[in-house]
Order: sequence, then C-alpha cells, then structure tokens
Amino acid sequence: MLEQTVTMAHGSGGESTGRLIAELFAKNFSNEYLDRMTDSSVVPGSAQIAMTTDSFVVTPVEYPGGDIGRLAVCGTVNDLLMSGAVPKYLTAGFILEEGLPMETLRRVVKSMADTAREAGVLIVTGDTKVVENHSSDAKGEGGLYINTAGVGFVPEGTRLDAASIRPGDKILVSGTLGEHHATILAKRMGLENESLESDNAPLDDIVNHLRTSGAAVRAMRDVTRGGLATVLSEFVLSSGQQIEIEESLIPVKKPVRDFCGILGLEPVYMGNEGKLIAVIAPEDASKALDAVRSAKYGENAAIIGEVTGDHGEGSAELILKTPVGGRRVLGPLYGEGLPRIC
Amino acid sequence: MNSFDKIKAYLSSYDGPDVHIMEVCGTHTASIAKNGIPAMLSPHIRLISGPGCPVCVTVTDYIDRLIALSQNEKNVICSFGDLLRVPGSESSLSLARADGAHIEMVYSPVQMLDKARRDPDHDYIFAAVGFETTAPVYALLIDEAERLGIPNVKLLTGLKTMPQVIRWVVSSAKSAGETTEREDKSDEGRIDGFLAPGHVCAVTGYGEYEKLAAETGMPFVVSGFTGPQLIASIFRLVQLRGKDTCENLYPEVVSRSGNAPAKSAVKKYFEPCDAAWRGMGIIPMSGLCLRQDYMHRDAGSFGLTGDHAGRGCRCASVLTGKIRPTECPLFGKACTPQNPNGACMVSQEGSCYNWYVGGRTR
Amino acid sequence: MCVAYPGTVIEVKDRSAVVDFSGTKVEAMCGLVRTKPGDRVLVHAGCILEVLPKEDADEMQNIFDELAALDEDDLREKAGR
Repeated sequence: MLEQTVTMAHGSGGESTGRLIAELFAKNFSNEYLDRMTDSSVVPGSAQIAMTTDSFVVTPVEYPGGDIGRLAVCGTVNDLLMSGAVPKYLTAGFILEEGLPMETLRRVVKSMADTAREAGVLIVTGDTKVVENHSSDAKGEGGLYINTAGVGFVPEGTRLDAASIRPGDKILVSGTLGEHHATILAKRMGLENESLESDNAPLDDIVNHLRTSGAAVRAMRDVTRGGLATVLSEFVLSSGQQIEIEESLIPVKKPVRDFCGILGLEPVYMGNEGKLIAVIAPEDASKALDAVRSAKYGENAAIIGEVTGDHGEGSAELILKTPVGGRRVLGPLYGEGLPRIC
Repeated sequence: MNSFDKIKAYLSSYDGPDVHIMEVCGTHTASIAKNGIPAMLSPHIRLISGPGCPVCVTVTDYIDRLIALSQNEKNVICSFGDLLRVPGSESSLSLARADGAHIEMVYSPVQMLDKARRDPDHDYIFAAVGFETTAPVYALLIDEAERLGIPNVKLLTGLKTMPQVIRWVVSSAKSAGETTEREDKSDEGRIDGFLAPGHVCAVTGYGEYEKLAAETGMPFVVSGFTGPQLIASIFRLVQLRGKDTCENLYPEVVSRSGNAPAKSAVKKYFEPCDAAWRGMGIIPMSGLCLRQDYMHRDAGSFGLTGDHAGRGCRCASVLTGKIRPTECPLFGKACTPQNPNGACMVSQEGSCYNWYVGGRTR
Repeated sequence: MCVAYPGTVIEVKDRSAVVDFSGTKVEAMCGLVRTKPGDRVLVHAGCILEVLPKEDADEMQNIFDELAALDEDDLREKAGR
C-alpha cells in the first residue's frame, strides 16, 4: 500500500521508492521493455530516428480536458510527428514535491498510460525524484513536474521542411484554436467556467490520415505556445514566403472567443495542445482537408489561407485579412500574453 | 454596393485635404490595429494614437512604489496583467514577482475583496490605474470593503481623467506647429479631430466632449470599439473636418449625461488632483485620488511624480502625436516588446507596441 | 484603456450579478445599473457598465445607412470615381 501523500522517502532510492515504482509506474506503464527494470532499456529499431524532449510544469496539474500526464505524452508525441517520424518510445522523468497527494499522482500516471496507449507509444524507462515543497498555493499541496523524451522512426523519403513552401500552397489548421490556453488561464485567474476544455490530444491519427491520403504536405507544426500567429510567422521567416490568412475562416469556439474578449486576448496568440498547421500543395488541399476531418480530433479542420509568394528580399510577412476588409501584419507573440483590462 | 461598402470605398480613395485623427483611447488603438484599419485608409487620412492607455502613461515613481510595497511581507499586490511588465526606474512587477514578491494578476478588483477577507493578516493593495471607466469599479470596491468592514483592502491610485489631457495635447500640438521636430514638416503634429473614448463617455457622458469641441474648434465623434463602429466614426470625422461639433455614434451605450450612479460613486470616494503623466509631466487636476475621509484606504499614492524613463525614450512625443513611433531613435532597436524601454512598447494598447507588432509604418 | 465585453445576466444577487459569457461566469458588481436576468450587459473589469439594447447589429446598420445617405452627394464628389 502506498502512503496518502508523497514524502521525501519516496525519492530516497530505498524501499519507498521501490514501492512507488512497482505499485504505480511499472503497473500503469507496463510493457516488455520497461518490465525488465534495467538501467537503460534496449529497444529494437533501425531507421532514421527522430529524438525530442520536453518538460511539463503546467499548473493546475489537472484541468478540464486533460492533465499534466496526458500533456507530457502528447507534447512529445506531437513533436515527433511534426518531423515526420512515427513515435515509438518515450522516457518519463518525474519530479515530485513532497506533500503531493498520492491520489493525484495516481490519476496523472493512469492518464499518462492511457494517452500513451492511445498514441501507440511505449514508456520504456523512467526516473523519479522528490524535492521539498515549494508550492505557494493555498492548499499547500506539493507540485508535480514531468519530463518526457521521445524516439520515433522516420520513414524513407519523408521530407518536411518550411523551406519547401511554395506560392499557392494552402494553410490547413486541424481544428478550433485557443482551448488549452483559455482553460488554464481561467483556472489560474479564478474565473468559473463550464464550457472551456483543453484540446490536449495526440495528433497521430490526423497525421496518419494525411499520410495515407497521399496529399503533398510541405511542412507541419503543432500549434502550441504562442499560438497560430507565432507558428506561421516562423514559417514566413524560414521560407521567405508571404502567408495570408483570412480571420473569418479561422475556427474558434464561441466560449474561447468570449473568454478572449473579456480579457482582451486574441485567439491567434492562444496556446493549444492538440492542433497542427499543415502547408499543403494547392491541388491536394481538399483531399487533405477531407482526410484531416475524418480523423480523430480533426473534425473542425479548415483551410484558412495560402502562401502568396516571395515579395522581395526579406519583406515577406504574415498577413491577417480582417472581417471588415482590413489587412494586418501578425508578428510572433511577444511577452507572456497577459490579459489586458485597461 | 451597400452603405458600409460605400463608406469603406470613400475612405480608401479619399483625396481631399489631409485629415489627422487622434484616437485617445488605448482600446481604440488596439482595436484599430486588430481590425487592420490603417490599411483601409487613403494616405490622406492619418490616425494618431493618443495618451489613453493607462499603463503607458504611468510614471516610473508609481511602479517603483508598487515594487517597494511588494517587498513588504505584509502586503499582497493585485494588478491587471498589463501593468506587470512596465519598467520602473530599475525593475518591474514581473521581475519582482520572479524574486518572490507577492503580486497577483486578477481579472477584476472585486476578486481582491474575497482574497482580503479570507486572509486578514495581509494588506491587499490594488494597483488602481485607469481612466473614468475604471474609477467607478474602484469606488464600488471601496464601497463594499467599507460596508463589509474589510480593513485590509487598499489602493495605490494612479487614476487619470481624459478632458484635461486632451486639452494638454491640443495646446501642445498647436505649439508643436511652431517648433516641429519632423523632417517632413507638412503635418507638424497637427490634429484635426478626435475619436472620443466610448467607454469613458459611457460613464461621464459626452456632454464633456461637446464642451471640448466648442473649446478646441475640432470635431469629436464618440465611437464604439468594433471594426464597423470605428470605420463609421473615422468616416464621420473626415466629414466633419473643420467643424466644432461632437457627435455620438455609440448611442447604444453612451448618453449625453452619462451614468449617474457611476458618477456619484466616484464623487463619494475620489476627488480631482494633479497627476503626473509619463513623459508629459504634471497636468493640473487630471487625476483622481481618494478623499480625506477614505485615506485609510490609500497605500501611499501621493508625491509619485518622478518619471525616470529610459534615456532617449520619446514616449511623450509619441503619446501626443508629435512623432510617429518609428521616428523614435530607440524604436525596434533598444526598445522592443521583448525588452521595452518605454511604456508605449509594453502594453498591447501602446502605440509603439502596435506599430512594432503590426509592422505599421504610417 | 477600457476593454468591455457583452455578456448575459443569468442571476441577480444583492450587490452583484452573475454574467455569462458563453460559459465563463463572472460575478460582476452591479451598482451602476439596474439589471435583470436575460439582460445583455457590457462588463468592464468585473463591473456592469451598461445594459445593451437587444439587437445592436441593427443599430449599426442604421448608422451606416444614415451616414451614407447623409453624404451621398459628398461620397460621389470626393471619391472622384
């Protein structure tokens, strides 16, 4: 039996650590490689490999639509997918604060295991450390941080690169924007909400549908922190091509639009955790859109604009065409995206 | 072509005498940028962002005092998000928070009431910046704190009022006509009309702006905040060039006399005082401070007039329309949204921020 | 300076009202205006600023029509087309 809360003993490397690993992590993440409990896992595979790592520090650790465990799997899986890799293996490093309720950890680990299964990856090795409680929240409960690293295999002939973007290419977004950011910010600011839910999801099904559709995908990026405008600005910068998008075509759910409205925020700068942008060859745009819409988490996909070309040395910009008929240059997100009231 | 399209076509092809329109409200500035309106206007119509972003006109003394208060273990500072990044003379609230100071970002001053009630051992100090629109919110906050007997709710006031600064801008623009700093001397910081601040007018009424129109000989149009509302108001100002009239194109929210309960709540708790504006100096009776009877709610708001903005910062000239943001030597170099030197580059309502982020050049 | 956003009143309490913005519920102070459930209101910094008319879209259309009609001659003349 595990204790009610995490204590420094759980990070001692002794008996408590052993029980925590056996009763929680090994049980939930179980697979043939992890179960060997070796210092490092030896896994099969030979191809071009993609590797990535990410650390997750979100507070609150559980929120409508997800939790830090689901986020830790999706973040790394999605990063692998965006470079054209098929995600295979993850590592999981936990930093726990003493005082963390064991029940919270249990739910997070369970959710992490479920998400890994959903995304078709194995968690093959892990680590746990316990640190003093630094939490400043009213309840004084300890926090929880996760690092995941991921390995995926890149199929022969895959080439995804912003530099291959060409004039006429279409910009596809896989769904409605801003839900994760709005959900977390509402919680942090103590605003009651029943209609916001994080979009926290793995993008493997969308990517697989795109791949099997045969549509020519030039570049892909998951739209995380900084939002759509930041990601597309980076495409403009690295390709030297101007991109023009139509504000009225950008999918945003009404609750998110209104949440942004009361705080003076903009959906194009809001972070997501289950959305991607794909740049598609013009002749394949409708094929790609159909493919994404038929995939899990892709039902609200839309084509929102296109690449308009090279406008001379260094002058390419990301342009947002507004509903009133205006044109506005969108830059990357600056600062923290703080709400504005005054 | 419907009527809206006709108006847009008129604005984009206008080739009459140049019209320089100042939007004094920062929310107008942000919405004009958000709707991409500058790109819809003929080169003969120029929009100038005025001093109506409360964050941008806050002096460094005020920020320094907030930071000093936040260093006291007994205090918790509550603020709207935008203010956190404004540079004081040495630091910002954001940096102080990173060093462990108790600074909380809230959506509404009301949220502070609950926090203060549950935590009587700390003083909760709201960074009360804003204009006439926000003043009644602070008045209601103090009203509730008094009624419920919550002693640990306080304000550090930096409240400002519009009419006085508009007068200041107009007289300063006139004097700039004589000693201009622009290379292109054709427009010389001239202003031909004002978009009057819709939500300020919701509280004060637009009667104030009729007086201003008569006084300055310029047209004022009270505007709402959506793209179509702003376009209609800009159109009307172009039409009214040279006339000393005030029109209300936001009648669903704004009346001539304003909101009586809001005005009386403000009057009960606050009185006019001199106020320091970043880069502009002290403008007499352009601010609001707590009345003597409510001094126990004040966290030390007096004498915060020092303004030690970064060297070379031209916020003042930008805020008064004398130079465009791009004409400041620091713009985009020593002053960017990542590393702002002046407050106009901090706020999403600041003119420098909007020009930089929006790649605006005119 | 003054972000204000429209929502719908769903409950009026003693000195505050619960305003709904498509699911985000804000307890807003309502000392400045009389309001009742169902009202569309403009909220600034957690305080109800004004009650809005039922259909503001039409209001704007009227303003456009008036402006355009008022200046029909001017529009033709100055646009130079």
